Amino acid sequence: MASDDLVRVVVDQELCIGGGICEMLEPEVFKLDDDIVISSVISDGLLPRDRAAVAVDRCPGQAIAIVEGKA
Amino acid sequence: MRSTADMAPPSAAAVDTPNVTDPSLYLEGIPHDRFAQIRATPGLAWHPYEDGGFWAVTRHAEVRHVSRNPELFSSAIGHTNLWDLEADALEARRSLIDTDAPDHTRLRRLVAGAFTPKNIRRWEETVRAITGELLDEFVAQDGGDWVDMVAAPLPIQVILTMLGVPTDDADYLVELSNYLVEGTGDAQSIPPDAFGNTTELRLLPFNSPASHALFEYGEGMRQQRQNDLRDDLVSHLVQAESDVERMSRNEYRNMFHLLVFAGNETTRTAISHGGMALAAFPDEWGRVLADPGLIDSAAEEVLRWATPVMHMRRTATTDTELAGTPIAEGDKVVMWYASANRDEAVFEDPFRFDVSRANSDHFAFGGGGPHLCLGAFLARLEVTVLLEEMAKRSICLEQTSEPVRARSNFVHGVLSVGMRPAGGSN
Repeated sequence: MASDDLVRVVVDQELCIGGGICEMLEPEVFKLDDDIVISSVISDGLLPRDRAAVAVDRCPGQAIAIVEGKA
Repeated sequence: MRSTADMAPPSAAAVDTPNVTDPSLYLEGIPHDRFAQIRATPGLAWHPYEDGGFWAVTRHAEVRHVSRNPELFSSAIGHTNLWDLEADALEARRSLIDTDAPDHTRLRRLVAGAFTPKNIRRWEETVRAITGELLDEFVAQDGGDWVDMVAAPLPIQVILTMLGVPTDDADYLVELSNYLVEGTGDAQSIPPDAFGNTTELRLLPFNSPASHALFEYGEGMRQQRQNDLRDDLVSHLVQAESDVERMSRNEYRNMFHLLVFAGNETTRTAISHGGMALAAFPDEWGRVLADPGLIDSAAEEVLRWATPVMHMRRTATTDTELAGTPIAEGDKVVMWYASANRDEAVFEDPFRFDVSRANSDHFAFGGGGPHLCLGAFLARLEVTVLLEEMAKRSICLEQTSEPVRARSNFVHGVLSVGMRPAGGSN
């Protein structure tokens, strides 16, 4: 599959431990709330598949998932 | 659970597992030949320990699996060190390290905000100023003990500044940390009643009276900040502790203990081994001096090379399987980061210190998952700034004495190592 194939990412806020790695990697897509220290998706959540996979892999809380078939 | 009748090693291969836990081995450095032997043995190796034993997880892929499956491999059962704690001791000593979700998530979020990549970047100028002063003094004195002069003061001054603890107390808190490192081995040089301690040692982190002193120090800070909240990490914790739903008093003191100890000891170890590596491989440091674009990969290589924390233990929550070996519920499973960081299946020529190494997937901060080192981005910043400031001053290192290493299979500590600046500081 081409790496520019877009997929949608979501954050499970129960699992998020506030590492902030997602907003470092993809500041247009993820934002960590300063007060509750939980990440959320601030865009339409669309990312190229390879970059989405990096965000999923690097998230220590294992809170980011790729939603298939909804891009 | 493995029953007592089952105490014999569960597989024949176990008989041949070389010992990697004897703390005295580590006085000569990590027993890499023994780890290489375990890595080369198919399946998981059963390693005898005290009355029982543990599964020695030594390969990169399998450390990653254990680290990233906390529902199978718990941090909250037994202990995260090799030996089990009695239930009351585990409760008294329980920190962020020894919890699973949801307690871990709750506690981690209380401190995570201060350590995100974005917020750590705000400390860069502070780190640079502290580092510059220490290096200038190191050069002015024509060197000395690299640990005392650079590796220890840099991270302790930074973490104390973040916490809001007076940096005048840095030497005292480093002294306490040194006693805690002793506690990770099998020899304590201080009596049980040191620092006025009256608590049973088994109830204190690392069985050390120095933990009592650190708890007392943290309690003093709590009382000071209670009526004088400031913009610092201790004030943030004190606010959280005022709501027991967010953090209990016991959780506060263990959090304070963890932030001070892990915030200084680990990066101190990285910088100690980093200095030794730069002295041992001057051509590699020469490449960085010639091409500052290599600083980031060099910093990652220092972290891989140093592996400040050599292992963490988990406990199986259910019967499972790894590397084709069945693991029983209740078995201890030990992730040896020190071995995974030399896994020849992942790192090409792993015993070569290579400042341009492309693969930075090392486990200096653990193998991923929720217990990923809280201070990972702070440690990266400190090591990176150190290399930048050394390069700016054209400091090369020449090692002038053998390192004195910690007698510990847990912390890859260096107590002292002589260094002098060579190669024209300008």
